[in-house]
Amino acid sequence: MGSMCFYVSSVTNAIRGKELLDKNGIRAHISRLADENIKNGCGYCIFVSSDYERAESLLRSCGIRIRGARKMNDLK
Amino acid sequence: MKGGTVYFDNAATTWPKPYSVRKAVNRALTEYGANPGRSGYPMALAASRQVYRCRELAAEFFNLNNPSNVVFVQSCTMALNIVIKGLLKNGGRAVVSDMEHNAVMRPLHAVSPGYPVYDVATVFLGDTERTLESFGRCIRPATRAIVCLHASNVFGVRLPVREIGMLARRHGLAMVVDAAQSAGVLPIDMQADCIDYLCVPGHKGLYGPMGIGMLLCGSDRFIPPLLEGGTGSFSASLRQPQDLPDRFESGTVNTPGILGLAAGIEFVKRQGINEIANREMRLISYIYSRLERMKNIRLYTPKPDFSWSAPVLSFNIEGRHSEEVADALSKKGIAVRAGLHCAPNAHRKFGTLDTGTVRVAPSAHTTMAEAGYLCGVIERMAG
Repeated sequence: MGSMCFYVSSVTNAIRGKELLDKNGIRAHISRLADENIKNGCGYCIFVSSDYERAESLLRSCGIRIRGARKMNDLK
Repeated sequence: MKGGTVYFDNAATTWPKPYSVRKAVNRALTEYGANPGRSGYPMALAASRQVYRCRELAAEFFNLNNPSNVVFVQSCTMALNIVIKGLLKNGGRAVVSDMEHNAVMRPLHAVSPGYPVYDVATVFLGDTERTLESFGRCIRPATRAIVCLHASNVFGVRLPVREIGMLARRHGLAMVVDAAQSAGVLPIDMQADCIDYLCVPGHKGLYGPMGIGMLLCGSDRFIPPLLEGGTGSFSASLRQPQDLPDRFESGTVNTPGILGLAAGIEFVKRQGINEIANREMRLISYIYSRLERMKNIRLYTPKPDFSWSAPVLSFNIEGRHSEEVADALSKKGIAVRAGLHCAPNAHRKFGTLDTGTVRVAPSAHTTMAEAGYLCGVIERMAG
């Protein structure tokens, strides 16, 4: 099952984003950033397995800066 | 009497701490001991979640809409330093009240030691209109902020912060509130009170441990950090991250302090902030009533009343220095603070700069029996 990974700068934003998505019925989990394509290093990812567009829109609407996004083949 | 001490020094630090606070501090060290915001293994993420939970609790408690704008700092003083030095970094002036603590006055002095960059407004007890007029008269074209305490840490005098906040907003100024004596005792609504920056200690009315405070940012004005360093974010860049809270949280945060603070906020919510305030005000009113009937006692305000006061009072015994009185009370197992309370301006206003005062401040744990004991000892001392 595929998933979308949204890169955010800090653990605070990651937890805030996950809680926001959970409250809106989108299951999410967070992990440490592990993507060499993201410049400047160190950060966190929010993984969602459905409703990618709505998830992104919700995150942006509450001011969470998304540094990048990547479709993943496997939900970790 | 708790642990052999009748404790009336709660304006400095509340004591005893609730059991839930002590337990939370212990849990931080035993269950959440990893560094939050730096790694992805379970204990580190669990610690991060606990830290974030405290941000949520604080944001809700003070009605701030974004938990990320709750910044953990070491103290209310640190929060005030960040805001004052940041807002005035490129010039400008601030308006302050005539009762400010050194946590406000020394950073303002440090901004420009040779030339005061502040104007001092007069607070009139219980007279919001005259107080507001005084603040209004101090606003100049160069004014950038109003920085004021919510309640005096010496005399309990309360400022009409909502009205002052509205004045600041009308003039496009930042409203900075030093809530050292009010957070957890008087209701604070950052949005309704028009507060842009709320500076809060964790170890007083919120019953957390020492070494933790908060800066709650309700404004998107840019304030540069006082410290730069590791934040666990954007690590390849030499530039300090600009997002909150990372901009102001370089270095490892104080997880035991933060978890203890969260438990303290929950304690206040469970007890009810109004219930705590009413209870403390009843105790202060009782003490005041007893003291005003005694010979040789000097009181400096009218009887405390919620319309203008927080539950703190100051007194002296005629002919005796405040430190001498505090020392004598200490020998009877009573803890109070004497002297100038780091607030020389407040003492200047009330004419007590030379002698200081003896300050009495109850907490949610103080009993009427303790208040009675205090009054009995003072009565015998005052003769």
